[in-house]
Amino acid sequence: MVNINEFYEKNYKKLIIISYSILLLSIIIIGISYFKTGEFFERDISLKGGVGVTIYNDKINIDEVKELLKQNFKDYNVRELTDLNTNQNIGVIIEVADINEVQLKDVLKTKFDINFNNKEEYDPGLTSSSFSQSFYKGLLIALLSSFIFMSIVVFISFRTFIPSLAVISAALTDILATLAIVNLFGIKLSAAGIIAFLLVIGYSIDTDILLTTRMLKRHDAPLLERMKSSMVTGLTMTFAAIAALMTGYFIALPLELKQIFLIISIALVFDIITTYFGNAGILIHYCKKKNIT
Amino acid sequence: MKIKNLLKFRVLFLLFWIIISIIAINPKFNAEGIAIKGVEKNSTASLAGITYNTDLAPTKLERIVAINNNEVKNVKEYADLINKINNSEILRIKTDKNEYVMIKTDDIGISVAEYPTSNLRRGLDLQGGTRVVLQPEEKLTDEETINVIRTIESRLNVYGLSDIKIKQSKDLFGENYLVAEVAGASRQEVKDLISSQGKFEAKIGNETVFTGGKKDITFVCRDDGRCSGIRQCLQPESNLYSCQFEFAIKLSPEAAKKHAEVTGKLDVNLSATGGYLSKPLDLYLDDNLVDSLQISSDLKGRETSDIAISGPGLSSTRNDAIKDATKNMNKLQTVLITGSLPVKLNIVKIDTISPSLGKAFFNNAIWVIIGAMIAVSIVIFIRYRDLKISLPVILISSSEILIILGLASLIKYNLDLAAIAGILAAVGTGVDDQIVIADEILKGKKELVSSFKEKIKRAFFVIMVAWATGLASMLPLFWAGAGLLTGFALTTILGISIGVFITRPAFAAIVEALEEN
Repeated sequence: MVNINEFYEKNYKKLIIISYSILLLSIIIIGISYFKTGEFFERDISLKGGVGVTIYNDKINIDEVKELLKQNFKDYNVRELTDLNTNQNIGVIIEVADINEVQLKDVLKTKFDINFNNKEEYDPGLTSSSFSQSFYKGLLIALLSSFIFMSIVVFISFRTFIPSLAVISAALTDILATLAIVNLFGIKLSAAGIIAFLLVIGYSIDTDILLTTRMLKRHDAPLLERMKSSMVTGLTMTFAAIAALMTGYFIALPLELKQIFLIISIALVFDIITTYFGNAGILIHYCKKKNIT
Repeated sequence: MKIKNLLKFRVLFLLFWIIISIIAINPKFNAEGIAIKGVEKNSTASLAGITYNTDLAPTKLERIVAINNNEVKNVKEYADLINKINNSEILRIKTDKNEYVMIKTDDIGISVAEYPTSNLRRGLDLQGGTRVVLQPEEKLTDEETINVIRTIESRLNVYGLSDIKIKQSKDLFGENYLVAEVAGASRQEVKDLISSQGKFEAKIGNETVFTGGKKDITFVCRDDGRCSGIRQCLQPESNLYSCQFEFAIKLSPEAAKKHAEVTGKLDVNLSATGGYLSKPLDLYLDDNLVDSLQISSDLKGRETSDIAISGPGLSSTRNDAIKDATKNMNKLQTVLITGSLPVKLNIVKIDTISPSLGKAFFNNAIWVIIGAMIAVSIVIFIRYRDLKISLPVILISSSEILIILGLASLIKYNLDLAAIAGILAAVGTGVDDQIVIADEILKGKKELVSSFKEKIKRAFFVIMVAWATGLASMLPLFWAGAGLLTGFALTTILGISIGVFITRPAFAAIVEALEEN
């Protein structure tokens, strides 16, 4: 087996480069997506809003509606409407992004016999675009403020510039790399997805704090030994979390929960690299310069 | 010896919270019967003395045990028994608190549900219902907002839907929203009742005689066959039925005076069927004409307070026309009783979740939590191969979930999907912290240099910084997200704080004690 101490002694600079290359690559991927689409990532209809109509007609088959919308529109959402007391199907709720109501009607007409003039059967009356837009903007601002608050806490806790910056940039890499993966796989983010990124902020820095504390503030063992012991603890934490999240991902029914679990899992995999390559490398370099042994 | 005392206190503190939580959740494993979840105003049931209090803890709700001396165990049995009893027969509802006697009518006006098995309140997506986000067309002052909320609440209450929550929320851009959650109501009903401004006007020509609300209308007859109901059905075309509803209202003296004033100026038209005034009384709801009533000539210039309001219901079958007329009547009665909203509200988001899906999500959430716990336990056991560490981790994490749920019951917080995600996040952080503590203690055992206090101090520095960053990252959600995400932020913060201040110290104490032995 390779001796971890020796390996780190020799290669820590390379490890730093690997970690920050991921950050750079992620920024490029997200940048490309931004120039192509004007968005940092694809939003699902819950964050985009669109035309929403309700059709009260129990003869309409939801699968046929889905098929029809799939052929015609890119971004849609169909839900079954059931009577709350009898649980019987009484109609469907359709939401489609990026089009207007007339376009939706035209498509629906081709397949279904709906009396569009009867408010009891066809109910437009839901334009969620502006609300969804401001909801989305609010979430992005929340995400940004969370990141800033987290950075402040880190700076106050460690009161040293380079190590604090290393922790913060590790968290940033986790977020951006996960976002890049989301982009590459064409996953559409829902509100739940953005919440997941908020949780990533909290989760990803746990191991960094542990590593930084052990390496900078303890002197009970040689530097690399302290790093190793913190790795054992940190990796246990990360694997326990990934195990729980992946189990949740496979068991959970609600798509919102699934997306949260998936995104944090991806971020935690990146976190192993950013913490033990990037952050550990920088700390080794920093400690050497400051003669911390 | 000193340390031992400390150990005891930490563990006792945890036990104290566990007991508080169990009392707050109050799990019932043998829950039977059905709970009264709402009573319609002025309904048969409410006149017989049945009441409903929204503030009651779920397991303290009044429980129906028998109908006409037949035992009732579930909602289906209840519905079957009620349907068997004919109208105007005697109906005896026996509850755990009282016995109520009434004459059976079409709709006695109570809504029921299976008796809750605990005090945990389920949010919309875990029990089914409708959530609407409304945006006022104009900016409202705080006072106006409170008024709007009261009016909507009383409208839904008139309908017997008491399981409602309406809250005001603002987003970061200063926009105001109202978020209304109604359990057990259909989308259409909620939409009609909440978003229609309910501006009712009775006009003769261009002059308004009276409007909806308590100022002009002192009484609205409702659910009383003598003064409210469907009066006649006609078939004007082969595939069209038209049914007419009618109900009585009483006007306030001021409104009656106004009526006299306006009718006094009108001419009388005599016809074969009798005399009518030259202009009809037009009833408008939100500027749509509901009905035009001919005014009998003997009412000219009279201060009358008794008015009959009527309107139609249309459909292709007679039964549906009756249903439509009944629906329109209920809506009109409701807005006449509660008055109009000061501003028009636009629905900007509406979600409906069926009860069966809600139930499936709820059961699924339990399995997700159990599955995640098992996964964590396996990783912990593989790493430490020591039950003295693995068992406490599982126990502490479970107690953490219990305490979060207990506090949620205490503060009457509705658990929804976001809250479940928050609980999982908090427990995940908790497990992380416990691993940090366990490793510090085990490491310390090898070195024997540092004291227990020192080891815990080291672990807690990491834990406190992690807690502070977790807290900091959740805070912005209280302002962003139009109030839809505060629940998530709250459970997460609650969870990580319980962890840091209650369960983590106890964990350290337990592991230390076990390892010392």
